[in-house]
This record gives sequence, structure tokens and C-alpha cells, in this order.
Amino acid sequence: MDNKVSKYMLIVLTVLCTVLIVVSSIQNGAVDPLRNAVGYVLVPVQRGVNYVGTGIYNLISEGRSLSQAAAENEELQRQVDALTEENNRLRSEELELQRLRELYELDQQYMQYPKVAARVIAKDSEKWFQVFRIDKGSADGIEPDMNVICGGGLLGIVTDVGANYATVRSIIDDESRVSAMSQLSAETCIVAGDLKLFEEGRLLISNIDKNAGISDGDAIVTSNISTKFLPGILIGYASDIQVDSTQLTKSGTLIPVADFDNLQEVFVITQKKTDMLSDTAESPEEGSES
Amino acid sequence: MSLRIRQTLKRILIYGALILLAFTIQTGIFPLIPVFSSAPNLLLILTFSFGFIYGSNTGMLCGLFAGLLMDLFSGGPFGFYSLILVYIGFFNGIFTKYYYDDFITLPLLLCAINELGYNFYIYIARFLVRNRLDLGYYFVNIMVPELLFSLIVTLFVYRIFLKANKKLDRMEEKRGQNVA
Repeated sequence: MDNKVSKYMLIVLTVLCTVLIVVSSIQNGAVDPLRNAVGYVLVPVQRGVNYVGTGIYNLISEGRSLSQAAAENEELQRQVDALTEENNRLRSEELELQRLRELYELDQQYMQYPKVAARVIAKDSEKWFQVFRIDKGSADGIEPDMNVICGGGLLGIVTDVGANYATVRSIIDDESRVSAMSQLSAETCIVAGDLKLFEEGRLLISNIDKNAGISDGDAIVTSNISTKFLPGILIGYASDIQVDSTQLTKSGTLIPVADFDNLQEVFVITQKKTDMLSDTAESPEEGSES
Repeated sequence: MSLRIRQTLKRILIYGALILLAFTIQTGIFPLIPVFSSAPNLLLILTFSFGFIYGSNTGMLCGLFAGLLMDLFSGGPFGFYSLILVYIGFFNGIFTKYYYDDFITLPLLLCAINELGYNFYIYIARFLVRNRLDLGYYFVNIMVPELLFSLIVTLFVYRIFLKANKKLDRMEEKRGQNVA
């Protein structure tokens, strides 16, 4: 008797889950009301646990006597982050200036996007995925596809949003692909997350034209032709660039600027590429593969 | 009868709270500890323990609840985690007839099988389909560490769980007698 009930239940639940998977794969946002409702209950809990957890962790790892130094360090780190970002912006602008002098109608400004600060409150403990949750949501103006930065570098992209939280997929996630370019030469490439390379703290650069001048140490920024990422955000520095076995393209690894190990505070850029896009060419290769 | 209902409700509340607690620890605390190269999968442990101790129905419900939490969190296709956890709840419920106190070998064995099944499910559905073929690497670097951590945690959590369960049983028995 009980056995029969179990089997029926299994069938019903299987159908239910399958339908949910299919519906949510086809139509993004179909389950948003449910996500929102649960978010209202869960996010305060997660925020509390995270607050306590972070507090205890900081206490243990730093020690009380070091708290002052830590505060100072945090302040300095913030300055370094701001300066890195500013430096990147200035470099971009300087390089851009030469081109702009020629193409004078072009109006592009790098890294002067409006930002919202957010706290990381939860992270996937499984190593398969590099996904985390922040404590700002649609109520704070966050929308899906907004870019997230940290420490002066690109961190990830908002994948879905509840009223008081948002889920962010890091660029180091295995499913992440970002259309990028060299800051110096504006030659395009693809920066993809790779679970294996992530162990070494790196990402994969591919699809570089064989004749492109990208070499080790070049700054790689998000490209103009990306559909989801705003142009000119620093991702990291190229290394190990080699010609592929096909002899048509080059590939290598990228050392990211953002620190993915110790995420606490991040910035969400509240301007979206899709809002900026009007007649720019689209890049079909980019975004999530799944 | 009303006492039974009240007791059932009480259990549902306690177990629900337990799953929520496991979820918050798993997503809020474990990632903070950088020493852990991997983390135990608490929700998986809870689901299979429920299935093993109480049978398939409870296991499936627990799996559904835990899976929904993961799905709401992860932002992938919705229902992805629910599906596998429901199956884990059901599968472990089959072994409930071999369940008796202080028998830890079978739960540990089940834990290992569940962990492997769960991780292979993720690998096949999310990685293999994208042509990531290096199973050996993922096996050694992701599946095995998580498996080891989960086994250690099962060793402790399962015991505590049994004790708490016994206590609840005894409390309910006592109250039942008082009323009678």
C-alpha cells in the first residue's frame, strides 16, 4: 500500500519537476513570483547568518588586536580598488583619445557607469558552479544582465532578480563566456570560465585572430560588441598566448583582476548594455552556453 | 486523532526548520571557510537520512523542499535540483526496511552512492552536454573531496539525528499515554 503511494508520488513529482525545468528553460522569469515570495522569507535569514558568520570568521582569522589594522587595510584596499579602476579608466581614455581625435563624433566614456554597492550573502558551496547571491534586488533597481564588478575588475553578471536579492554568475563559472578585447589594440577575443583553470585562478582566452597583436601581459577589457557586457571594464591580463593547433586562432589564459576567493562587497552597474544598444552589431557567441 | 495531527505538524515544522538551517549553513557559512577546498552537502545528507529512517514518502517530500530551496537559489533551470533530490529521497526509502538503530555502515554506504549519483547527474546534465569530457579530472577534484567531507559529516550528523528522533518518539509516546 505504502509502496504504491510512494510510486504514484514519485511519478507526480517527477512530472512536476520536469514541467518546471522545461517551463523555466523556455520562458525565463516564469517562476519569478515564487522566487520572490521565498526570497522575502529567506534573504533576511541568509543575511543574518552571513552577518554572524562573517563576524565570527573575521574575529578568528584576524584576531582582536589586529582589528584596527584590518579596518585600515580595508580602507586602503578600497582606495587601491578605486585607483585601479581610475587608472584603468584613464588609460582607456588616453588610448581612446588618439582614436577619438580622428573619429571625433564618437562619444564613448569608460567606467563612468552608475553603481550600487551590495553585500554577498550566500554562495553555492558546490564546486561545480560559481554562483552567488547579493542582498540588493529589483527594489534597489537591480535587473537581470547588469554587470557586477569588484576590486576594479569584472566579476560577473546578474542572472535573476528577486525583490530583495539578486543571483550573480561569476565570470569564472564554467558556463560563462564574455566577449572581450585587448585594451591596447581593440582586437577581440572570448574570455570563458573554466573549472579546471579556475583551480589555478585563471580563465581561458580564445578566438584571438592569428594575426592579432595580443601578447602576454596585455590588459583585456570587455568589448564594444558584447551584447550583455558594457564596454571597457577591465577583466584581467593575458598570459601564455599561443597559436592553436588549427593555425587559425590563438588562445591562452587570463589572470583576473577581481579577487574571487574572498567576496564580501561588490558593485552592480545599474546601466545595461541592452539599453545602450541601438545599432551596434551583436555578438552571437557570447553569454551563457546553456 | 487531533493529537496525531498536532504531532505530525510539529514534526513537519521541526524538519522544515532543520532543512532551512542546513541550507543557510551550506550557502552562508561553508563558503566563508577557505580552508575547505570542498564542503559537505548537508541537504543531500538530510534528504537521504529522512528517506532511510522514515521511508520513501517522507524522503521525497524532504527532497522536494530541499531541492526547491536550491533551485530558488541557483538561478539555473528551475526544478533541476528538486528532481534529483526527490529521486534520492525515494531511492533511500527503499532501504528503510534495513533500518535499525546504531547501524552506521549502511548509511555511510548509501551516502557514498548518493553523492556519486548526485554529482554524476550534475556532470552529465550541465557539463557533459557542453562537451566537457575530462571526467577523470572532475571526479578527482570535485566529486571525491565532496564525498569525503560528506561521509565525515554523515558520521556525526546521522548519530545526532537518530538521538533527536528517539527523543521525539519518546516524548510523543509519553504524551499519548497521558491523554489515554
